[in-house]
Amino acid sequence: MAETQNVYEIPIGPIHPALKEPIRFTFQVEGERIRGVDIRTGFAHRGIEFMAMKRNLIQILYLSERICGICSISHPIAITLAVERAAGIEVPPRAQYLRVIYSELERIHSHLLWAGVAAHELGFDTLLHLTWKVREQVLDLLEELSGNRIDYALPIYGGVRRDVAPEQIPKVEAMARYYRGLLDELLDAFLRDPSVEARTRNVGILTAEEADSLCAVGPTARASGLSKDVRQDRPYLVYGELGVKAITPRDYGLEPRGDVYDKAVVRLLEVAQSLDLIEKCLYEMPEGEITSFPKVPALLAHLKKAEGEGLGYHEAPRGEVIHYIRLEAGVEEPMVWKVKAPTYSNLMSWVPMFRDQEVADIPIVAASIDPCMCCMDRVHVVRDGSPGTVLKEELLRLSREKTERLTRHLSPVPRHGGAA
Amino acid sequence: MTADQVKKTLASAVPGLEAELRSRPVGVRTRVEVPELWATVSREGLVPAVAALKAAGPLHISVISGRDAGEGIELLYHFAVGYGTPGGEVTVTLRVTVSKSDPVLPSICHLLPGAETSEREKIEFLGLSFTGIPSTAHVFLPDDFPGHPWRKDDPETAKLVNRLVEWEGKNG
Repeated sequence: MAETQNVYEIPIGPIHPALKEPIRFTFQVEGERIRGVDIRTGFAHRGIEFMAMKRNLIQILYLSERICGICSISHPIAITLAVERAAGIEVPPRAQYLRVIYSELERIHSHLLWAGVAAHELGFDTLLHLTWKVREQVLDLLEELSGNRIDYALPIYGGVRRDVAPEQIPKVEAMARYYRGLLDELLDAFLRDPSVEARTRNVGILTAEEADSLCAVGPTARASGLSKDVRQDRPYLVYGELGVKAITPRDYGLEPRGDVYDKAVVRLLEVAQSLDLIEKCLYEMPEGEITSFPKVPALLAHLKKAEGEGLGYHEAPRGEVIHYIRLEAGVEEPMVWKVKAPTYSNLMSWVPMFRDQEVADIPIVAASIDPCMCCMDRVHVVRDGSPGTVLKEELLRLSREKTERLTRHLSPVPRHGGAA
Repeated sequence: MTADQVKKTLASAVPGLEAELRSRPVGVRTRVEVPELWATVSREGLVPAVAALKAAGPLHISVISGRDAGEGIELLYHFAVGYGTPGGEVTVTLRVTVSKSDPVLPSICHLLPGAETSEREKIEFLGLSFTGIPSTAHVFLPDDFPGHPWRKDDPETAKLVNRLVEWEGKNG
């Protein structure tokens, strides 16, 4: 509630079909400054965990893929790891490498998606179109490998459903070459651009202490300087052997500040890291089976007899995803299936990030944790008790005007890092 | 911090707390054992156990999962202790069971503010309450949602499911 007569409330949201969890923000605003925010989620809660109580594990696998369109490899990987742990299923070596390849491809397309959204929120639609154009390359490759642009149906309990055929390997290599050649251009466009820097430096700051106590995950935590990456900290699949290191702005020669700029640094560097991992996997991957249960009825019969509990975790593009499952012998449905997506952990990080920011910075700060931000559909401004409506376009206009205002007197920053 | 050290820390914080080590064999060329600790703790022992974990290293809470276990409600607190070093994080799961007649737990938000979302979720889905939690607002369900959907003995949820079944036309 407003404490003084100068503090107004601006509710933003809640219905945003593109988000897996549409969100309503209620900002307390004093002039142009945000003094506080109240966050409400759950507007698209579909009760997936509840639905799973009536389904067998194979059906749940496909359900898990539909938790999020962008993370449609991450959730199946987490649930397969949990179920394999609970039911004592071994995964053949080749399948473990293939899972890593698929999830790193997913990370590349997700980070590029984010970069495009971030550019759009800042008013750089040229950059949005460039990023999304180059993103097509990895989506084409995923389509080549799985048959689909999203919802790939690749992991299954005991392995994966599709192999990378020898004739497909040159296509994977071509994709890696393509992005390596482009990466410098992308880093240039995002990190050495004076107007991007003006709009993202010292905006939406999450300090290392806040990130630690609020248990932030993924690039949101790493941008604040925390060396926190499930692939590094709790090895699974073959990530331990691949030697994954959590990427922070220090890898770009910058002291982490935890602002939006740092989040862009981390995500763009992670694209390069994913390319390395994919290439390593391609060369190190042994020949062999891709699943320990080639016949689904045999798998179902094994799962029905299984008794136990297990945890499966994975570093999704947005951070840690964790699934807990408990199976009981003789029952096809799991007793419990708990899903935790990365945005769930990053939700509370928004509160310190929004504090004392400008209204025009709402789109980019909200987008900075990467919650799939086609979000700002509708804004209601309640002023003098008479509600009016500000559309997404209006908020975007404010954001773009700020960019123009800031860049009018800017000269390009020197190359090699954008530290001011 | 190794799994053994975490185990000792837990045992000294809560007398009689015996954590079970369930190692996860990981890797293809070089197999390593990734440590996972599982422990059952009483309601009274929860806060001292979490405080000990926090003192042991940077502490992360992944989520709290829970289920209606018939007579009581079982909660599983999934933590990870000591991020930052390759392979150095220990997963710790604390299992707490409360009776349905007294479904109250102490909140751990004063130790770990990041646990708030997860605790609030348990309030709406399992009908628990946490003492000392900063906010009890719903996270996922509408404010006027009847019942607690993960409770198996909840009449409101049964009604809701029946309505859905009728709506899907599977009743006739």
